[in-house]
Amino acid sequence: MQVSVYRYNPDSDNAPYMQDLEVDIPAGRDLMVLDVMHLLKEQDETLVFRRSCREGVCGSDGVNMNGKNGLACVTPVSEVATSGKLVIRPLPGLPVIRDLVVDMSMFYAQYERIQPYLMNDEPTTGIERLQSPEEREKLDGLYECILCACCSTSCPSFWWNPDRFVGPAGLLQAYRFLADSRDRATEERLSSLQDPFSVFRCRGIMNCVNVCPKGLNPTRAIGHIRSMLLRRAS
Amino acid sequence: MQIDPVNNKRPVNLDLPTVVRQPFPALISITHRVSGVFLLVGVGFLLYLLQESFSSPSSFAELQSLLDGVGVRLFLWLVVSALLYHWVAGVRHLLMDIGVGETLRGGRFGAMAVAAISAVLIALAGVWIWS
Repeated sequence: MQVSVYRYNPDSDNAPYMQDLEVDIPAGRDLMVLDVMHLLKEQDETLVFRRSCREGVCGSDGVNMNGKNGLACVTPVSEVATSGKLVIRPLPGLPVIRDLVVDMSMFYAQYERIQPYLMNDEPTTGIERLQSPEEREKLDGLYECILCACCSTSCPSFWWNPDRFVGPAGLLQAYRFLADSRDRATEERLSSLQDPFSVFRCRGIMNCVNVCPKGLNPTRAIGHIRSMLLRRAS
Repeated sequence: MQIDPVNNKRPVNLDLPTVVRQPFPALISITHRVSGVFLLVGVGFLLYLLQESFSSPSSFAELQSLLDGVGVRLFLWLVVSALLYHWVAGVRHLLMDIGVGETLRGGRFGAMAVAAISAVLIALAGVWIWS
């Protein structure tokens, strides 16, 4: 199989280029894209990429495969390389450190900005802060995010304003804490999101939902935040 | 918030639109915006037609002969098409604001519905303008 992979080494290359390699795939088998990346590395050990758990839990091998973001470890080659050629590029929009490894600082800065932890200054009673099953249910579809950045780096609003627009991943987590019955900082959280950029740069094109490897829906979470901001202002 | 990249000479993989494929709902969104910008000019044209048609019987007659021109009609159709498309896509936005069509399938369906409905309306507008 023909594979084209994005290469860039800051020490030796002035600009990135695409390297074409031929990979032998065992007949009758459908590999994951990450397996192919390992086969590429056997041919050319200078190829660099991130990976860890290789089963879609850690979120470190987010790449752009034939134009669509996803986790290489859980994406079958047959699903993306429909034309018979596999094209692997780094996640779009973030600065490339080397080959398929991108600098996620901007992504993490937006995550940090939404204060991704419970804020509650009421005195504890010596046991956990309890939730009813219904309250806990509200966090389903929110807490599962593994911060792989596939969504935010597929979002044009995040490409153009990574410093001011929180991005789908950050906003999904912002809503995760807004929706938590144990959190007491709703007002503070909402007022930090009410400017024209943080939330409202979302145009609802749903590229995030289209790529999320965990099947989550940041667009809907953003809609909930918008409604909360609207109710608060009226 | 200030973000200071360690090395701002780093390349970015963002070669549009050939390399990074945009899904259909994204294309509906960008054309929604393009049609909006075009309407800045187009609505001016429509308002000019409206004003001329009201100013006097002679200018009304003049306008009628002007609108017989193929180029003018084509431009009018273009403006009306942009208006219809922009309107249909806008209604979809209002529906999404109340939580309708916010799933992956719903979003795709909504985008296709916008394309289909506005195609029908644009065809009808064409029949209206040329009949």
